[in-house]
Amino acid sequence: MSAASEPPVTVPAPPAVRTGPQTFLARARRSPTLMVGLAMTLLLLLSAVFAPWLAPFDPSAQNLTGGLLPPSAEHLLGTDQLGRDVLSRILFAGRTDLRIAFLAAIVPFVVGVLLGLVSGYFGGTLDYLIGRLVDTVIAFPFYVIVISIVFAVGTGEGGIYVAFALVGWVGYTRVVRATTTALRGSGWVAAARGGGLSHGRVILRHLLPNILPQAVVLLMTEIILIMVAVVTLGYLGLGVQAPTPDWGTMIHDGQAFITTKWWLSALPGLAVIYTGISLSLVGDGLGDAWRVR
Amino acid sequence: MTDPRPLRPRRALTVAALAVAGLIVLSACSTGTASTGTTADAEPTAGGTITLGRVASVTSFDLNNEITANNAFAIDKVFEPLVAFDADGKIIPWLASEWTISEDGLTYAFTLRDGVTFSDGTELTAADVVFSLERHLTVGGPLPLDAPIGSIVADGDTGVTITLTEAYTPFLAELSGFQNGIFPADFQGKSETDFFADPIGTGPFVVSEWDPAGDLTFAANENYWESGQPYIDTLVYKLIADDTQLTQQLKAGQINAIDEVNSADVESLKSSADITVETVGSWEIEQMFMNTTNTYFGDRNVRRAIALALDRDGITQATTFGTAEVANSLIPPTIASSANDEGYALEFDVDAAKAELAKSAYPDGFTATLLIASGNSLRAQEAQIIQESLSKIGITIEIESIDIAAFRARFFAYDFDAMLNSGQSDYPDPDALVSFQADPAGFSKSYWTSYENPDVTALLDEGRTTADGADRDAIYLEIQKILAEDVPYIPLFYPSTLKATSSTVHDLTVLPNGSIRFQDAWISE
Amino acid sequence: MVLGVVLAVFFLLRLVPGDPARMILGERATPESVAALRSQLGLDQPLLAQLGDFAVSVFTRGDTGTSLVYNVSTRELILQRAPVTLQLVALAVLFSVVIAVPLAVVAARHKDKLVDHLVRIIPTVGLGMPTFWVGLLLIILFAVTLKWFPVGGIGTTPWDPLRSLVLPALSVSLALTPPLVRSLRSELLEVFSADFVTTLRAARIPERRVLFVHILRNAALPTLTLLGVNVSYLIGGTLVVEQVFGINGLGSLLFSAISNRDFPVVQGVALFCALSVVMISLLLDAAVYRLDPRMRRA
Repeated sequence: MSAASEPPVTVPAPPAVRTGPQTFLARARRSPTLMVGLAMTLLLLLSAVFAPWLAPFDPSAQNLTGGLLPPSAEHLLGTDQLGRDVLSRILFAGRTDLRIAFLAAIVPFVVGVLLGLVSGYFGGTLDYLIGRLVDTVIAFPFYVIVISIVFAVGTGEGGIYVAFALVGWVGYTRVVRATTTALRGSGWVAAARGGGLSHGRVILRHLLPNILPQAVVLLMTEIILIMVAVVTLGYLGLGVQAPTPDWGTMIHDGQAFITTKWWLSALPGLAVIYTGISLSLVGDGLGDAWRVR
Repeated sequence: MTDPRPLRPRRALTVAALAVAGLIVLSACSTGTASTGTTADAEPTAGGTITLGRVASVTSFDLNNEITANNAFAIDKVFEPLVAFDADGKIIPWLASEWTISEDGLTYAFTLRDGVTFSDGTELTAADVVFSLERHLTVGGPLPLDAPIGSIVADGDTGVTITLTEAYTPFLAELSGFQNGIFPADFQGKSETDFFADPIGTGPFVVSEWDPAGDLTFAANENYWESGQPYIDTLVYKLIADDTQLTQQLKAGQINAIDEVNSADVESLKSSADITVETVGSWEIEQMFMNTTNTYFGDRNVRRAIALALDRDGITQATTFGTAEVANSLIPPTIASSANDEGYALEFDVDAAKAELAKSAYPDGFTATLLIASGNSLRAQEAQIIQESLSKIGITIEIESIDIAAFRARFFAYDFDAMLNSGQSDYPDPDALVSFQADPAGFSKSYWTSYENPDVTALLDEGRTTADGADRDAIYLEIQKILAEDVPYIPLFYPSTLKATSSTVHDLTVLPNGSIRFQDAWISE
Repeated sequence: MVLGVVLAVFFLLRLVPGDPARMILGERATPESVAALRSQLGLDQPLLAQLGDFAVSVFTRGDTGTSLVYNVSTRELILQRAPVTLQLVALAVLFSVVIAVPLAVVAARHKDKLVDHLVRIIPTVGLGMPTFWVGLLLIILFAVTLKWFPVGGIGTTPWDPLRSLVLPALSVSLALTPPLVRSLRSELLEVFSADFVTTLRAARIPERRVLFVHILRNAALPTLTLLGVNVSYLIGGTLVVEQVFGINGLGSLLFSAISNRDFPVVQGVALFCALSVVMISLLLDAAVYRLDPRMRRA
């Protein structure tokens, strides 16, 4: 038996005031996960930003007699039911879905981190109340909220932003609160307060930078989850308005042809997975570089 | 270092992933085998079960208070009307074996068929007919009996005389609807709720097991008036909420009939040897409706320009894969007096469309919203084609897609610019459709378009009171001509009623209202 | 907390446009008949009166009302539909644990080697896979092409409902597994280096015993909590999978109830979900208490 022959296991260090940027960057550069993730994400973002130039056709250009064609030299990924080029639509759908996912992630992030900081820092009744609120939101059947809001506001982007603003902040709050509570007990917070710094300053200047890494890693995951939710809503027929292309609606529209023209549903799904992988790797990589995992 | 844990799960996953990719490629390459078409046996064999997959469950048998298909097509298995319509929409004798209509069109004398009993053995008498129709008149209901009825009188046990206060030609067609089915007088002494929880009718089937939120099982009515029929023992209405699942389960042999077929699947189903696709022209018309109280759509030239800008052939082909028929008039060819072949419709011509728009108050175009209900792929595709077509003449369309409940709330409040929806007739008389869609005094105000044309209204009244024949035809042709010129709505296509069964199921009768008659159906080996 | 959920759902539903009576009767029904139905269903009552009726119903009959669409008590509907969904969730949890635990252990013990990297790809890939898409692929592969499982619905063979639930449960577990793998692996790594493990090893206790009895037990705690949170989400969240596979469970009931504005049913399912979450949390707390030797001694 050789416990000794195993490589020494590095235990993730507890969050502490970061040493200078140099160390972080050095770790970042050496992390293949982060590098690959960033490369993939860059590719993704570039293809979304430059879609109007990259796409061979106008994604809305219909050709009613040329529908449902298999991949060919002219249409690399074939055409959909209305004769629109699938490749172009996938590229443009990327713009829509990525934009929505990133935008929808902002409010929950800000709200969640703030609530977590406040809750963990002040403790007491405030913490208790926020905790109960968190529990209630978690107990809420997610789809009841999202679908109801989408029905109320109308299908399309608005409903998604509202829905996630209302329920998406919970994950951040929990994580940030846990870390903040742990930090609050440590010596330097008391020292800072003793030195006359206001609550606000302590929270924003000192605590925030320490919890930010964990929150950002979580942000990557949350963006992916929002993206998947947007796609799922599109599949249920409640997604982004036509004719704006969206991966979820493309999967939904292609479902009727799934046994004969499977690529119409499979390819947009792969695009979603690719996005998931890219952001996941970035999240993991950042986590490694910041030593939060 | 030995690893005590098996690596099997991880390897299995990798293998599975590769297999998925491989098999997807293979399944895409495989082609369906062409149907060789087995000839059906002439002799029906008794026995067996037909399991019909449907997307909604049956929630009530109270026929006078129902209108939606999920209940209507279960009700019509248990209760039957005095007269019925066949697959061509012709009125045929049913519980009434014959009838006479007086010269002035006011008195209808029906003679009841011999030997008809309810499923519990009690004989059908005139008293039951009187009770049933009067109850419908009292209740009103979502599909009320509109005929101007003066009196309903039993004529002995086997005759019923109905006297109208004025001539009303659609009367027989109205009577043929499921909502005018006959049930026992006084509900056999039971309360209404109890009676409809366990309904007793003259129909070919009896309810045996019923889950209002799930499946419904019918057993054959031993006492059915067509002796020896129905041939099958059991009919099951199975709830399958997803329409892709419907097709999948049929193909996999889990069920042997489905109530709805996606037009996209028709080709592949037809080419499968194990599956038969049944189709019949329906009484539905897919249309684009325009709110004539809207600033832009109130302008007749604008509406005409839009009609000229739409390629109805292209829309029909692209969205229904050739299973629907292009619409050239409001009344479909499955109903009498259809003007479909008369050439009244404005034909696709982009230049003419631009010219027409130039004559309007908005020659440079405008922006408007097209409202549709979400969750319907076909409508979404239609909307996108229309959006594209209208952009070519300078009209920018924004598609607003909201969930069906909100959609209904919107257009009921007349809060829309234009919408996509479908018109439908409940019985085979042109009046049903045209009244609903062109009568400004009707509760929908011309299908929510608020269209009003005194000429049309006068013709409508005339049509209702003129007896069937060439004169009546001429009236409805004239109405359709005017509608084609004023275009408050643009008929796009007539969807077909599509059902599919396993090829062991024979002799279903598919009706143009979407229902199926199972009396003659049988299952072969 | 449960109360909060239920009240929120009650009011949220009535804020959304759409009339249940109109949904039941369709578009061509006369306005009179729709009004009559609304009255019959009590929808024209003032809001507070409706809330009162609702409260009475819940506390005296344990029922959130009669379904507007099906005319059956909500409690009955839920009791009928819940078993399938619970079976689905249970099976999915089983699959997830069976897949996640071995993978996490292998990855943790061979940290930074190829195996570890390969396993770490799973959460990465799995996170972005929409469940319904996975479901569709599974149907094409295992049901349509290989014909090992039914394409949907719940069959009636002796192997059912288990056999019919395999593919749906697998789809769901492919969403559950990635976070579990990640969390468990991470916890295991921490525990591996903990002092008491070194002590145990020094005492020459067999590796297998060390692994199963002590390490897993400790690492499992936070992961169990994570599992609990995810499962709670699942109780109402199976609706997509149920749609794809044509399963008439709680999820599809919820979806059609929301679409039809069937208020009592949506309220009922929401209440059920909230209660389930509470129950699962309690069960988990108990499990954690049992598993954690430190807590027991305290």
